[in-house]
Amino acid sequence: MEFVISHLVKNYGSKQVLKDVDFVFEEGRIYGLLGRNGSGKTTFFNCVNNDIDINSGEFFFRGESGEKTPVMPEDIGYLVSTPTVPEFMTGREFLKFFIEIHEEIKPDKTIDEYFDYMMVPEDDRDRLLKDYSHGTKNKMQMLLNIIAAPKLMLLDEPLTSLDVIIAEEMKNVIRNQKQGRITIFSTHLLDVAVDLCDEIVLLHNGRLEPIDKSNLGDADFKEKIINALRDEDNG
Amino acid sequence: MVNEFRKNLAKIIHLRSIIGYNGLVFALKKTPVIGKLIPDRLYSTAFLKVIYWIFHIIVEVFKLFIGKIFGLGMIYLAAFLLSDQYIEHELGGGMSSSAVYGNLGLFMFLLYALCGILIRVPYFNCTTEKEYLVFMLRMDAKKLNETLICYDLAKLFIGYVMAGIIAVITGAPFWLWLGIPVLALAVKFLGIGLQILSFRLKIKLHKSLKISTVAYLIRLTLVLLAGPFFIIFIANGYFIPMPQLVIITVLTVIAGIWGLMIFIKTDSNLHRRALHDNISKTEVKATSQYDNTKSFKKIKAKGTIKGNKKGFDYLNALFVKRHWTMLCMKPVIFTIIVVAVMILFVAEFIYGYYSRFGSANCWNMVITNLVNLFTFRAFSDALLPVGDDPAFEFLRYVAQFHLLGMLIPLSIADNSFKSTQAMFINCDNSLMTFSFFKQREKIIRLFDIRLKQLIKINIGPVIAIGAFANLILFVTGGQSYPGEYLVTFLAAFLLSVLTSVTWLALYYLFQPFTTSVVAKSGAYRITSIIIYSVASIIVWIPLASYILAPVLLVFAAGYVLFLRSRVNKLAPKTWKIKS
Repeated sequence: MEFVISHLVKNYGSKQVLKDVDFVFEEGRIYGLLGRNGSGKTTFFNCVNNDIDINSGEFFFRGESGEKTPVMPEDIGYLVSTPTVPEFMTGREFLKFFIEIHEEIKPDKTIDEYFDYMMVPEDDRDRLLKDYSHGTKNKMQMLLNIIAAPKLMLLDEPLTSLDVIIAEEMKNVIRNQKQGRITIFSTHLLDVAVDLCDEIVLLHNGRLEPIDKSNLGDADFKEKIINALRDEDNG
Repeated sequence: MVNEFRKNLAKIIHLRSIIGYNGLVFALKKTPVIGKLIPDRLYSTAFLKVIYWIFHIIVEVFKLFIGKIFGLGMIYLAAFLLSDQYIEHELGGGMSSSAVYGNLGLFMFLLYALCGILIRVPYFNCTTEKEYLVFMLRMDAKKLNETLICYDLAKLFIGYVMAGIIAVITGAPFWLWLGIPVLALAVKFLGIGLQILSFRLKIKLHKSLKISTVAYLIRLTLVLLAGPFFIIFIANGYFIPMPQLVIITVLTVIAGIWGLMIFIKTDSNLHRRALHDNISKTEVKATSQYDNTKSFKKIKAKGTIKGNKKGFDYLNALFVKRHWTMLCMKPVIFTIIVVAVMILFVAEFIYGYYSRFGSANCWNMVITNLVNLFTFRAFSDALLPVGDDPAFEFLRYVAQFHLLGMLIPLSIADNSFKSTQAMFINCDNSLMTFSFFKQREKIIRLFDIRLKQLIKINIGPVIAIGAFANLILFVTGGQSYPGEYLVTFLAAFLLSVLTSVTWLALYYLFQPFTTSVVAKSGAYRITSIIIYSVASIIVWIPLASYILAPVLLVFAAGYVLFLRSRVNKLAPKTWKIKS
């Protein structure tokens, strides 16, 4: 399975944020969407997630035999950088509701086993979500997306402002979950992208461009990406 | 020094103009419909900036002349009219017309100045331009305030002198013309001195220098309370003798000089700190970052949901349980108030028996007549206390032909708008990031559950308003056809359903709220205004209840089905987080 984006354009008034995004993402890989602040990473995700209308272009799944399948809401899992959770529920209540609402899912774990998998502390599980820390809210968001098992996982800077331990736990979860789906992970931090992702894609000047990661060990690799961003900026 | 003052003033006016112009463009861009047509380059259009400058100068001149002339002009006008009366009725104690004019004018000005607005000084409130100049551009806070005070007092002086010319033409003495502007400056300096003194005291007590409005409000209340006594004092031909007035004036001027000295001796740090502690919201913050969400965050983890509720039913039940106060308090309070009014109504009715038959026979008569009423439908006996009271006839007419008017109290009791805000900020805002929440069948399922819930929340006010209308019907002759009481309840219920479904559908069709719970959608506002306007006309239409109820039943059913179908069709696209 592939996720194909074809000539995607998004404008805000006269400002063209996504100019002509054309790219093919492959199943089983984590793509690091790297771009500077304000380059349009969140806009790109919002377009794919159907939160905002696009001006032109299309995106779809392409099967093994080349057939096109439209992207349905249930195909997408979206983790926003500032996790918002229904604050009036406890973690357990939210998880119960979420599993019940997804009748098509046959959970292979109990609620507590899911919590254990995501390393959500026991004393947090029956507290209101509004009292959760940023990191635990992030874990909850990730857990729900794991349960829903979407074909396409959009992660919008999910490691931003997480402490070292939680960030490392989250990275492991993302790595463990990459099989059977396409994961696009946006960040403006080069080190995170290099560490976690199988592929690196630059979003700059409204376009997506792959970066060859074969020479990852090369000391000049980071320098090359920075120069690429800078050059395009000047161009 | 003059050069520095001129430079500072130019900076302030320039910045004020930029902030004003950009604020205007920003507000226009946020205006529904028009906003989308306004290009960004408007921020840098020189021609429009010049027009704004001209407009700005006109406003300054307006404030200078009209503002000052209006304030002081009213005092002069009152003094002029009163002095005529004093002379005509020989109350001036031998003073000439001009002297009485001067005496009354000075007296009223002292009251206005010392107790009212003039002594209040705004120089330590940190406006947007002050915030930029002092805290970003690092301008000396004292020099900034000096410049602003000089500019402001110059305007005050010139405005008062101009107003005084009219006073002199109408017979005021020359000393009043020139004396009042000087006195005004003294009062201003006195205000500044007192303000600085209070800051110094707060610093000693390690308190914030935030300017309290309490003292001002107390002063204003005292002035308003004392006002009638002064009016009576003057209207009865009394006046304060000139020597006493002169003493007060001289003392005020001395106090003003003291205030000026205090101001001169104050260092820049105090000015900076006072400004810092009194920063008001900037235009940008005020429009884009106003935090409305605090009142929605008072959630307590109360209990859990018993029974076998699942999925969206479970979500809704939990939501209502944890937001009970927020959702239900207003309808409950409304219901209690209506019930209390009904009790007063019944008490008043019984008092009619008491005043007619005395305490010994009152209850006897009430019970006997009620038994007669229920057994033989003898209304004329039961309604003895009200008889042919025309007020009751009018109320009966309203209860029979103006049931649409129940929409007004029902709308007051209705909490659906706030409920949709709570739904968005505490629930949907987060769930909208999950794909399942955008699926058509799930959206409509939750819509149905929520509509039922809103209708349930409003059931208290529906019963109370229906009961009230029926009570009126009852005490004014009872129902005129079988089932009229039920029809009244039905009408109240259907009107409440219309209110609830309107708010809920508007929320799903426009999702107007930002993450600060501000309703920003122009289409939402326009649609709400249209609905309000139509409803405010409809409530006045007289319609007999037996016609209204079936019409309302058919209309409500059609309206609910129509809005539901719109939600089903459009909400997957429209019900989303505003970017």
